Amino acid sequence: MKKIWLIMGGGCVGAVMCGALAALYILPLDFRERSPVQPIAFSHVVHAGNNAIPCLYCHRAADQSRLAGIPSVMECRACHLYISQESAEIKKLIGYWDMKTSIPWVRVNTLPDHVYFSHMMHIRAGIDCSSCHGQVAGMERISRTASLKMGWCLGCHRQHRASIDCWTCHI
Amino acid sequence: MKRRTFLQLSGMTAASALLAGCQSKNEKLIPYLIPPDEGVTPGKATYYASSCTACPAGCGIVVRVSEGRAKKIEGNPGHPVNRGRLCARGQAIVQELYHPDRVAQPLKRVGPRGSGGFQKITWAEALGLLTANLKELQRNGPDRLAMMTPQLSGSLSALVDRFMRSYGSPHHLSYELLAPDWLRRATRTSFGQPGLPYYDLAETRYLLSFGADFVESHLSPVQYGNAFGRMRQERDTVRGHFTYVGGRMSLTAASADRWMPVRPGSEGALALGMVRLILAEARYDKAALAAHNLKAELLLDHLKGFDLAKVADLAGLSKESVAEVAREFATTRPSLAMAGEGLAFQTNGRESVRAVHLLNLVTGNLNRSGGVYPAGASDGPEHSFAELPALVEKMRTGGIKLALIKGDLRHSIPPATGFQEALDKVPFIVSFSTLLDDTALHADLILPDHAALESWGDVIPRGGLRQTVYGLIQPVVTPLHDTRQFGDVLLAAASELGGAVSEVLPWKSCRELVRETAGRRLATARGGDFETLWVELLRRGGGFDTGTGPGTTYRWVAAAKLPTPDLPAFAGDEVQFPLHLQLFSSTAFHDGRGAPLPWLQQLPDPMSTVVWDSWIEINPKTAASLGISQGDLVEVTSPRSTLRLPAVLYPGIRPDLVAIPLGQGHKGAGRYAKDRGVNPLELLVLPEGSEQAWNATRVRVTRISGKGDLVTAGHPQGSYRSDLIGI
Repeated sequence: MKKIWLIMGGGCVGAVMCGALAALYILPLDFRERSPVQPIAFSHVVHAGNNAIPCLYCHRAADQSRLAGIPSVMECRACHLYISQESAEIKKLIGYWDMKTSIPWVRVNTLPDHVYFSHMMHIRAGIDCSSCHGQVAGMERISRTASLKMGWCLGCHRQHRASIDCWTCHI
Repeated sequence: MKRRTFLQLSGMTAASALLAGCQSKNEKLIPYLIPPDEGVTPGKATYYASSCTACPAGCGIVVRVSEGRAKKIEGNPGHPVNRGRLCARGQAIVQELYHPDRVAQPLKRVGPRGSGGFQKITWAEALGLLTANLKELQRNGPDRLAMMTPQLSGSLSALVDRFMRSYGSPHHLSYELLAPDWLRRATRTSFGQPGLPYYDLAETRYLLSFGADFVESHLSPVQYGNAFGRMRQERDTVRGHFTYVGGRMSLTAASADRWMPVRPGSEGALALGMVRLILAEARYDKAALAAHNLKAELLLDHLKGFDLAKVADLAGLSKESVAEVAREFATTRPSLAMAGEGLAFQTNGRESVRAVHLLNLVTGNLNRSGGVYPAGASDGPEHSFAELPALVEKMRTGGIKLALIKGDLRHSIPPATGFQEALDKVPFIVSFSTLLDDTALHADLILPDHAALESWGDVIPRGGLRQTVYGLIQPVVTPLHDTRQFGDVLLAAASELGGAVSEVLPWKSCRELVRETAGRRLATARGGDFETLWVELLRRGGGFDTGTGPGTTYRWVAAAKLPTPDLPAFAGDEVQFPLHLQLFSSTAFHDGRGAPLPWLQQLPDPMSTVVWDSWIEINPKTAASLGISQGDLVEVTSPRSTLRLPAVLYPGIRPDLVAIPLGQGHKGAGRYAKDRGVNPLELLVLPEGSEQAWNATRVRVTRISGKGDLVTAGHPQGSYRSDLIGI
């Protein structure tokens, strides 16, 4: 009698542990904010939307490098010496420049170190920026639209008949 | 609390801790404030070809630079010395650039010397101080200026020479602890030319090394390590044989087919014993002997005292093994014998090296493929160890008023020379160190040099090649701190001094000087437009086809005496100090300049796997008789001083020998090297009349406690199979 209870108890514990492990695997353990507050309320709506500045005007390394690049403080300031100097957010920008410190932007789209991702390859293959970054032109504050999980990458790779060999990304 | 509640609670705590651990925060994305002029593309690396400065071998390097930061160093595949290979020391020089304790701007001493109190000053102020001192000295006795540097090559060597000569001071000391002065002088005596040899290792069939650790440190380790691999494996039918002669099993010795643990100081006699045997059995090369104007009968007559029985007894080896090696060496052609630091750093060192010369001569191994040639670039100081005592005497008696010191001489000169106390008598000391090392801590003014990766320069690789090669050093990043290159400071001082000094040093910067030197050395050989050549030099990291063919050949000087190594003299009484002390260059630190870099501290010694420390190697038999076991703290006493360090029981060392690696025991030199390990140079006593006799001291070892705090990266017995080694 006791033995049966023992086996059943053991089985229950085992099942619970398996369940917990499965939950750990399935649950989204990425607690990064999808749309974090930025040090300056930079609006893509104003820049990319209303003024229709092309993405590559500021993120100019995207078609030449792994990284897209973000403009230096000097480049932001170069325009804003003349454009809407009076806005509170621009004053913050000039404040960073005056203190000679860089703006600590908060990263929104990020991939782990074991993934090799190159902007250049995707741009040159004709993939639109919005396929991964969403409709940035409509975002007051930038937010992550894609899950950036491996299954999501693979779905797109399959659709475009791109390589799905492990070594393509995990080099 | 109920048991159930407790379990529930602890389970929840564990789960939440786990989740908290997985949780990741948003990273920051920091843009440039001002983008660099060159228009850096983020994520795209640039590769610069330059030359390594970690030791004088002058290997070619390629540095990967990303976003203006030097990230990784590899060997330059196009460089003839290292053919794309690089040793750990070369890989680590990126840490010299990013060392957190670098001196970021000129410093002036406040408070007493050695207290480490310094005040930050501007370059204008610092150069003002330097030139004021130089000017004053120029008026009343310019010969009271002393310049101390490592052994320089290329344009910097010319710059320093010109500076000192035009200033009017003869006191330029080119000091490096492991400098091959011994080899240059022995070669001059035997063959009438100063110079280093080029060993054609890759083509030889029988290699006999007398204490030359060419895998770790001897002359050009990357070059010879690579050539050794080719000697073993490149040819289809031949696997070259290698015999190592020396009392301690170094990494080089561990790569040998046969190890002859010879008694310290008897290597020269052993070599002559082999010569005698080869001559007596008529296995010598008659044509070679005739070509060098030597006669077998005369040689045999001269070598009467070196019969097999006596030599084997002196060396502590069996007669059979000595005879066997001698016969193998004579009958396998081509063969070559190397003479290294192991035998040179004895009182009879120079004659022992010449005995090895004679061995190569009688077997016809000079000037032939698979043998020994004179190296292309081989000129260099020959008397620096004779000049050292003279300079010490001059400083001690107040004959030196201003000392300009590049390098950490306080650490790398044995205190037995009296250098340290004599230096304290010099009223004004200027150091050009990048870190607050032992020398800089005792200086009055520190003018921090650029790191090698920020500097312009050139290097003539030492010893590793038959032809002359010109290696370029170019900056790969913009200087991190407010530092200035040593050469630029000298040029600035020269222009301030005016007169003869500025006349012979008209250049504005080292870059200009290097450009001109490169032009002079290479343009004539190639012809054509200099600007194209210069771009090509920058792209390739030097000029490797310099147009200088193989240089001279060796020829025995008729007037040269035949080598007669005396019995070695040792400091310390044999009863009181029963063990010989050998100091060896560790794979990580060379002569100590690698110690500030954490990667090199972390690099396990290949034989004992010790990291981050000094140690003393003792044969297990000796250790057993002294009651010492692995990792014990022991006290090493020489007639001069006492040091405490952990013991490593090492079967690959003669029972009458103990060995300590060089390079640790810095009083400063940054957080990673400071107060770590011991500097074994403190133990040395230099016997009368000796120059580079670093291995001629006897010591006594006693056990202190079981707490040596020895840290090893591997098996406590090290990476070797101890059952395979034995004496």
